[in-house]
Amino acid sequence: MGSPLRRAGVFILLTLLAGCGKSEPVIKIGFVAPLTGDQAAHGADMLQGAQLALDEARAAGEIIPGYKVELAPLDDNRSPAQAVSAAKRLAADRDVLAVVGHLNSSCTKPASAIYYEARLLHLCPVSSNPEISRQGFDTFYRICPTDDLQGPAGVRYAVQKLGAKRIFVLDDMTTYGRGLANEFLGAAKGLPVEILGHEGITQGEKDFTPVLTKIKGLNPDLIYFAGMFPEAALLLKQKLKLGLSAKFLGGDGLFEPALIELATPEAAEGMSLTTLGGDIRSLPTAQRFVQAFEAKHGHLGAYSWYAYESTQIALEAIRRAGKKDRTAVIAAMKGMGSYSGILGLHTFDSKGDTSLRVIGIYTVRGGKFEFVEAVHPSPPEADPPLAGTSSG
Amino acid sequence: MNGELFLQQLLNGLTIGAVYALIALGYTMVYGTLQMINFAHGEVFMVGAYLGLSVMLVFGLAAPAPGGAAWLVMVIAAAAVGCALLGLLIERVAYRPLRKAPKLSVLITAIGVSFFLQNAVMLFYGAQDRYVPELLPARRMGEGAVSVTPMQGVIFAVSILLMAGLQWVVHGTKFGRGMRAVAQDPLAARLMGIPVDRVIAMTFAIGSALAGVGGVLFGSYYSTINFHDGYLVGLKAFTAAVLGGIGNLPGAMLGGLLLGLLEGLGAGYISAQWKNVFAFAVLIGVLLIRPHGLLGERLAERA
Repeated sequence: MGSPLRRAGVFILLTLLAGCGKSEPVIKIGFVAPLTGDQAAHGADMLQGAQLALDEARAAGEIIPGYKVELAPLDDNRSPAQAVSAAKRLAADRDVLAVVGHLNSSCTKPASAIYYEARLLHLCPVSSNPEISRQGFDTFYRICPTDDLQGPAGVRYAVQKLGAKRIFVLDDMTTYGRGLANEFLGAAKGLPVEILGHEGITQGEKDFTPVLTKIKGLNPDLIYFAGMFPEAALLLKQKLKLGLSAKFLGGDGLFEPALIELATPEAAEGMSLTTLGGDIRSLPTAQRFVQAFEAKHGHLGAYSWYAYESTQIALEAIRRAGKKDRTAVIAAMKGMGSYSGILGLHTFDSKGDTSLRVIGIYTVRGGKFEFVEAVHPSPPEADPPLAGTSSG
Repeated sequence: MNGELFLQQLLNGLTIGAVYALIALGYTMVYGTLQMINFAHGEVFMVGAYLGLSVMLVFGLAAPAPGGAAWLVMVIAAAAVGCALLGLLIERVAYRPLRKAPKLSVLITAIGVSFFLQNAVMLFYGAQDRYVPELLPARRMGEGAVSVTPMQGVIFAVSILLMAGLQWVVHGTKFGRGMRAVAQDPLAARLMGIPVDRVIAMTFAIGSALAGVGGVLFGSYYSTINFHDGYLVGLKAFTAAVLGGIGNLPGAMLGGLLLGLLEGLGAGYISAQWKNVFAFAVLIGVLLIRPHGLLGERLAERA
């Protein structure tokens, strides 16, 4: 511990000295996700994706001449309160021109209001709750499809492909989980399926045997869980131990290899989930990213490409703005209207939501996520495209 | 109401209740001797779970094996010893220097120790959930609708043994007599030649060892652990101790089992999303209606 401390000391001294002369001006891109806590695996993937995008952009040349662009990563520990304080820190830092962030919808939603107030461009990689973009913030752009598409895609898959007739719905009572469960339930109304019940569980809890025993008594053929992987792992495990044979389907919060490790491959076998977007490995535009990420980290992090794409878009907006000015960055983003990235051509609507609305289906086989199919849901309502759209 | 499911719910509740009871004993023992709530106790439980995991990793234990039960006992013993030492250390470093300080200082120190342990474990083991290998086969025993895993059997057996052992220590040994004497009146105990500091240190060691055992059982039963697991479980165990009557050992055991049952039945039959509300409503209810708990004597103000 001695040498990093000493190095920090030397660094502080040098910065002080540099302050007397001239220092290279910086531009920062804020990044917030859970970097500690039970969902840190997701946050780590996202940070690696964002960092890769920045590293590549820096290697390609200066983004704004005379400025050094760096990432300012902060931790929200999936807590809305910490998310807000991180957002305020970024809003107060005049070097920050854009923010990529927040994993959980419950964090993204309150933080988005702070970015809006501070006129900070906010790119949302994976928070899929539809309410966030309905707040009417012109600073908000989202590159993933929303849960009003994911929920219905899930229930259709459950009924039409998995043959479910009796479904029990569980959620984790967060903005994301409860929202997704309600979208799932809403779409189930038009389908030949019986909903046996809908219950919430608490994030961070360990013992779900009481509710699973209750579910066992109702004898469903499928359990739908709208939540995140740590709780899903426990549910799968305890479901196996209770001898509950119902199938298990979840949302994108479960798309994390740590789920299979924590649940054990035996308990996770055969479970399915929906994801925000199709199979990244079969996208021609994403091949270079997949190779670069795997070469660097040895595996492909589940949410890494969303953060990568978001960071690239933020960089592009800053490049087009051409100066260190938050309103210019937002104006540049509005001027772009669409962006061709590794996931495809995003055209953003008036709410800031992307036109890429594919939902993927995965299943666990032999301890690994296996891509099943991509579904192209029709948009729930036609949103007018953003005014002044130009290709970019 | 389905009888088999009800039996299953009882078993679910009793399993976690037994773990609460083991941890509640530590709260209640320390309160009995020092009249302080050791809020770092939940973290000792969490450290116990991580110590258990470390022992498993060091010995390369990863899967159910023929000698799984023997290994598990060894892991439990190691975690108990480790946590006993940790308890001694905490008492010596954080609480003994404050023996004459106002109660509030000790309480705040306890919260500080709790933060320290949480963050130390986070830095050392990482912030993510860790998978705890199962040393016993996960398969259910019996073919009926009611399922009991071997791990649940171990939890019941170990907790009953330890609770019985603790009763014997407190009521059948010289140390136990010293402990009861200190609980009654520390000053008089000291005048009678009882080494009060040593008795208090031992109380911490025993309470922490029980929490360590609880940690290993908890980790092995749920097979994932996280550095902040001590917070909620510790709070529940504290609730159990208050429910049974803080300072009263059989009360802590009864409180733990009852709280586990109440949570399990409440979550199973009323609503899972209110699970924690049941637990903490009990805490409030007990404090309002019967502040001395189910088995606790009326607490006379000490002069």
